[in-house]
Formats: sequence, C-alpha cells, structure tokens
Amino acid sequence: MKKFLVLLFVLVTALAVFADTVDWAIEDVAGKPGGTLFLSTTSGPKTMNPAWAQETSSTDIIGWVLDTLVHSSNKGLAELPGLAKEFSAKVTEDGKTVYTYVLRKGLKWSDGQPLTVDDVIWSFEKIWFDNDMTANGNAGYMDSNDALPTIKKVDDYTVQFIYNSKFRRGHESIGWTEILPKHILEPYYKEGKFKEAWSLADLKSVVSSGPFVLKTYKEGVRVVLEKNPYYYRKDKNGVQLPYLDQIVYVIVKDLNTERLKFEAGETDIYSPTAEEFPEIRAMAEEKGWVVRQGGPNLGSNFVTFNFNAKDPVKRKWFRNDNFRRAIAYAIDKQTLIDVLYNGLGAALYGPVSPSSGFYNPEVENLGFRYSLARAKRELKKGGFVLKGGKLYDADGNPVKFELTTNAGNNVREEIGNILKENLSKLGIDVNFAPMQFNALVGKLVATGDWEAVIIGLTGSVDPASGWNVWRLDGGLHFWNYSPEVKPKMFDDALKADYVVPEYEKRIDEIMRLQVSAVDKDELHKLFDEFQMLVAEHQVLVYTVAQNYLIAYKKSVHIYNPDPNPAAGVLWAGWNIWKDQ
Amino acid sequence: MLKYILRRIILAIPVLLGVSIVSFMIISLAPGDFLDSYRLNPAVSADQVKNLEKRFGLDKSPVVQYFIWLKNILKGDWGDSFTYQIPVWDLIWRRVGATLLLSITTFIFTWGIGIPLGIYAALHQYSLGDQIVGVIGFIGLSIPNFFFALLFLFFAAKTGGKIFPVGGYISLGYDTFPAWKKFLDILWHVLGPMITLGTSGLAGTMRVMRGQLLDELKQDYVEFARAKGMPENVVIYKHALRNAINPIITALGFSISGLLGGAVLTENVFGWPGMGQLIIEALLQQDIFVIMADIMLASVLLVVGNLIADILLAAVDPRVRLRLG
Repeated sequence: MKKFLVLLFVLVTALAVFADTVDWAIEDVAGKPGGTLFLSTTSGPKTMNPAWAQETSSTDIIGWVLDTLVHSSNKGLAELPGLAKEFSAKVTEDGKTVYTYVLRKGLKWSDGQPLTVDDVIWSFEKIWFDNDMTANGNAGYMDSNDALPTIKKVDDYTVQFIYNSKFRRGHESIGWTEILPKHILEPYYKEGKFKEAWSLADLKSVVSSGPFVLKTYKEGVRVVLEKNPYYYRKDKNGVQLPYLDQIVYVIVKDLNTERLKFEAGETDIYSPTAEEFPEIRAMAEEKGWVVRQGGPNLGSNFVTFNFNAKDPVKRKWFRNDNFRRAIAYAIDKQTLIDVLYNGLGAALYGPVSPSSGFYNPEVENLGFRYSLARAKRELKKGGFVLKGGKLYDADGNPVKFELTTNAGNNVREEIGNILKENLSKLGIDVNFAPMQFNALVGKLVATGDWEAVIIGLTGSVDPASGWNVWRLDGGLHFWNYSPEVKPKMFDDALKADYVVPEYEKRIDEIMRLQVSAVDKDELHKLFDEFQMLVAEHQVLVYTVAQNYLIAYKKSVHIYNPDPNPAAGVLWAGWNIWKDQ
Repeated sequence: MLKYILRRIILAIPVLLGVSIVSFMIISLAPGDFLDSYRLNPAVSADQVKNLEKRFGLDKSPVVQYFIWLKNILKGDWGDSFTYQIPVWDLIWRRVGATLLLSITTFIFTWGIGIPLGIYAALHQYSLGDQIVGVIGFIGLSIPNFFFALLFLFFAAKTGGKIFPVGGYISLGYDTFPAWKKFLDILWHVLGPMITLGTSGLAGTMRVMRGQLLDELKQDYVEFARAKGMPENVVIYKHALRNAINPIITALGFSISGLLGGAVLTENVFGWPGMGQLIIEALLQQDIFVIMADIMLASVLLVVGNLIADILLAAVDPRVRLRLG
C-alpha cells in the first residue's frame, strides 16, 4: 500500500511537472546570461496602459512587457510566432476569413498566473474591439465593410477570429495587439476605470507576458526592467531567455547629453544623427564601438499642394499633373541628402519606403531626378510660359504661391529653402514661411486655408496603414478632401469646382481592394500599381529619408543580422547579451 | 498684523481669478489643441478624433471650458492630464521633491555665497578682490544657463564622469548603494544644475548687496556713529548692514515663488526630473489642465512669497512695521 502511495505520488508529481511544461520557442543563438543593458531615451513612458499609450516613449517600454500573438520579422512582416505557436489565415468557401491562433501550453504571467485563451478573448472583446476603450479606436480591426470579426474559442488553447468577408490584415492587426491579463484588469473594467489602469499612479499592478518585467520607474530618471522568470523562450543550449538580467532606460531630456552619456560609457547603444555619424565612426575603433548603417527610415517628408486652394487660379496649377512633375524635377534630392544627412540617406520617389518589403523599385525608373531642363519642359507641356525670367500660366497669371511647414523642423525648413531657390530658377516665386505645428495642423485638417506644404507622416512597412491618407474619404486626404468629409472647407463655388482625378479614384479603389487581397501576389500587384500611380502623377512630391544609423559597444551582442528601421536594433531583444 | 494678513489673503482671491482667466484665454488663443498629434496620425480615424474631442471636452467653446474648469475646481477636481490620464496634482506632486531639492540648494548657494561676497566687495571697494569677484559674477550672469549647463556636462564627460556626473539624478548603481551613499549620490548630482543656476543668481545678489551697503556706509548716521567712536564692526554689521538688507529680503519673497517654478532649460539639459521638464512637455502638447495647475501654483506662491517678504521686512524695518500697524 505504501509502495503504491509512493508510486502514485511520483506519478502525480510527474504529471504535474508534465502539465507544467511550456511549449518552448527555441532560438538559434548561444550567448551568456547575465548583465544589464543601459539605454537612453529622451522621454519616459506616460502610461503602461497599451490602449492609451500614444508616444513611442510609452510603447517602447510596453513592448518589452506585453507580448503579442504574432511577432514581426526584422523586416517588419508579421510572420514569426509569439504567444501563439501556430497561426494561420484561411478563406472559407463562403468568402469568410478565419484567423486561427494556437497558444503555447504553460504560458504564465509574471505573477505566476496562467496566460490562457480567456485572456486573449477578454482583451479583444472588452478592450480592443470597443471604440471607447482605446485612444486609437477600433477602426484598425475592421474589414472593408467596417465590420469587426467574431471571436470563437475552439479549445483551451485555440481561438479563432472570423471575418464575414475576405480580410488580409489579421496578423498585423490582431496578431500584433498586446494581450492583457484579465485577472488583473477586469476589476478596473467593471468599475469603469480601465483608462486609469496602469497609469503612473498604478504601476504596481503591471504584470508581464514579455521577456521583461517593469521593476521600478522613477519619472524623469529611469525605467528599470527585470528579466521575466516565466518567459517562454530558450536558446539552442537550453538556457532560458532573456539573457539580460536587466534593461535600464536612462531618461535624458537633451540629445547632446544622450551622446555625452554614450561617449562616457554610461549607455550601451546610441542612435547618432547623420551629422554626428562620421565623427562617431571615426572614434569607434578607439572606443570599442560597432557602427552600423541600415536602410532608409520609414517616415518621409513630402511636398503637397492643395487641390482645393481658395484661389481658383492656383488650384488649377496644383491640379495640373505637369506642374507637380516639374516640382519633382526641381527637387535636388542628392544635394538634400548631402546637406541634411551627410550623404547618409536615400532619395524617395514614391509613397513606400525602400526598407519595406512592399517597395516597388519601378518607381525609380520613372526618372524624376533633378533636372531643371526637364522641369521646364514639363511646365511647357502643362501650358506654362517662361517670359523674362518669370513663369506665367496659359491665362497670363504669374506663377507664385505660398509654401509652409512646421517651424523648428530643420529638415523640412532646409527642403523648403532649397526648393524655393530652385523654383526661382524656373521663374516661380515661392513665399516660404514656416509656421507653428498646431497652426499648421489647423490649416491642413480644419480650414483648408493653405497652398503648399512640406510635411511628413509616420511611415510603416505596410502601405495599408496609410489608408486614412489615401482613401478619398480619409481623415488625412488633406490635398483633396471631399466636400462630404470637410463641408466647412467648401463654399458653393469651390464645391462646384471639386474634381476627383482618375488616378485618385483608382488609388481609393486599391486601398479598398487590398483589404481583402488575401493572396500575396494579388496584394503585391495592387501595391505596385498604387506606388506607380502616386509616383507617376506625383500626387505627393516625395523628397528624401535618412538611413537608419546605430552605434553600440562591442561588448553588446545583438542578434540581428541587419538592423532595419522596420524593426530597430532591439528587435528580438531577448537574444541580446553582454560580455561581463 | 493678523488683520493685515487676512486682508491680503482676501485681496488675493480676485487676483488669482484674474490670472486664471487670462491664462486660460491665452492657452485657448494658441492655435490647435492636444489632439493635433492624433489628427496627423494615419492610424487614427477622423471619427475617433471627434470621439476624443468629446471625451476631453475640447469640442466646447473656450468660455464654456473655462467655467467647467472653474466649477470642477470649486469641487476640488483640477482635472486629469490628457497625456498621463491621471489627476494633475498627482502628476505635479511627483516632481515637487526634485525641484525643491534643486531650488533650495541653489538658494543656499546663491545667498550663502552672494551676500558675504557682496559685503566683502563693498568693504574693499575698487580693490583687486572687488574687481575679481565682480568679473566672476558677471561672467556667471552673462553666460546663458543652457550653454553653461552644456559646458559643464561637456567637462564632466571629458573627465569620464569622475569629478562631476554627466547629468541625471542618480548614478547607475544607485539601487545597490547603502542609504548614506544614496543621499550623497543625489547631492553629488545636484551640484551641476545648482552651480549652473546659482552662478547667474550670484552676481545679482552680490551686486545688490554691494551697492546697498556702499550707499548705507555713506550715510550721515554712519559718519556720526564712527565719530562717536563706535567700533567699526558694530557700525558695519549692526547698523549699516541691517539697513542695507531690505531689498535683499524683498527679493527673498520673490524667490519663494520661484521655489517650485523650476528652471526649465537647466532641468532639461541636466535631465533633472523636476517640474520644469513636466511643464515644458505640457506646454508643447497643450495639456491644458497641467499648465493651468502649474500657473495657479506659481501665482499662489507669488502671493504668499510677497506676503512673507512684507512680514519679514516689517520684522527688520521699524518704519515698515509702523505703516502696517
């Protein structure tokens, strides 16, 4: 009997252990555990609540702490497993799209509570799919009919999101969304206080599913992250990841100080500006730094013209394809790269960054390279006449307009100055007057009282995240808002004069079609066409982007073969290790 | 005296109300609002911006917004920060400690050195020492704070952060230090911003002290006291100095209002986690309630500081005491 009991006990413990095994993710790395990584940031997190975090200062930290079902590759594509060990998308015969995620077994929150499929369902049902629960709203999860998916729990580890139409962005939208701990956040939700959860006053209750746990945060001073003992990854030798014991973000308000700290050896990684880069590179050998250069950053600056400018003469020019093409020819991109970025940049010809997997290099072949002769030819084709050094349109009006940007942005101001200079050689008189950011936003999205502007928007790998910019009814289609979207901008005369060119209609259509382009080839074809349309008609006149620049101590081992702006140097940070 | 204080406090109420109206008006006149960064974010739809406008109350006219704000304050609610989603006082109190530490040490540095140096310079007028002290003071006054701060940090970095730290509030290994070392560590870090801020205040304090004392030393009563054979030390320190110190005490009252005002640029360069940083961020993002709370706090401190200065003046100067009585 006693023997039997012992056997039973052994069996039960064995089972318990067995039940506890995690579906480990095995990484192809072999480093050494231990150590602290020191990083600098110019601003600390404002909140740890992922639904209300806006700035990267918050989301960067949250990224270490809250995991997602799917991870991004270092090219920024949603194709690597995260909390879900398997995931798939299928279009059924009746035209529905089913996204299936299979969670790893044995996942735990940093407080030891199991992370289950119920957490996943709760996060989406109660928070992410509810417009009032998040700052960004739920539009990102909707298909082309503005419908949200239904959620189905298949078994204890499997969950399905079912769209009633063809939808291709599930892994980017659902897969990249932070899963929240139901056991911690449900009480806040029930009290109607979800928004305040995990704010600065409530950091004690933050639990982690990611590689690191928030240990301490002293505002304006530093954020200390500590290794999460329940993280589900191992290296190829069976060592549980992350390697690092701690990550410390030192908050440094001033960019000059940030560099001084790196030079003094107090921080491990630094992103130099293009201006500093040659100096940093020259010091690297002596200081023991690795210096690397990646592809151009995702964001971009472009010149845009108001198709609905108040002055009927001017809007006629701005809608003229030849006019905008001439401007494109007049932008001396190489000089801009040399002046602004020390030569460390790339010329942009279309709306997608060359660093994105969706980039269509065909846009470069359209030949919009700097040439005043071509610009002149283009203007002539557009009906403009150069007389006595001044440019006139077909009706004899002298060509001059106002160009603005947000004051304080050196890059945009420099682009404006160079453009003004070049356009004066074409006989165009540009009045370049930068203004305060908020005033500019007011003009762009509220009054419509502007002529030409140099501005940039946050870029991303997938052109579809710019739907708000490209769709005719989009909230950021500011160069040619429709009277329905912005009735206040239009008086009767302007309304009667509102025109949607063919290429705009097609771009709008592509932005709607791509949502359901589950087939990869079909999707690429659509995006190729989109880029060509924008580039050919120079809807927005793109300028230049700086390359991704990075310097770090040799003692830091970063497992990232190619630091890409789409994923950053800290991509797969659980693999980073440091010589002790 | 008590009646006087009470009257001053009652008179302060319309002043503060006026300050709040004017500041709210100026904030409203500035173009745009907190949601502008949302408006240019491709991930946020126009509908969601409208949704947020309504939630934050930004869809109402500034006048209505002001009265809602005032009504809430009377109920004790100063509003939440848009960025942080927590009550504004909660946010401000978190920063008070660091700012107080900096302003009090700066205060001690400026006055503790400035007053004795001013006295020394007055007593040794036109001597070499006077000239040197003057030159140093003016150098401190003429270098802009942010530039001085950068020079300081540059020096600290070039010496490997061994003599002075390269900005910040605590050392990297702070968490492992014993309590006494933690204390010293923070004091070591306060040196940079303190010297930066202090040098500019130093020259002012010193010159005022010097000028005042020189004026007093030329007065008839000083001649008279000397003629009567009163010891020089008593003449200077008991009589002349006491009369010379009046404007310094008035300035003291003003410096109370600066205690929490912080030093925006210096705090930024040194990465000092005080209120200056918070406020500059709030201003840039048009986080209205944080700005308003800070303005009101500064105004209250100014009122209180002036009151304290007047009371102190009454304490040292019988003429003032007579007037207040």
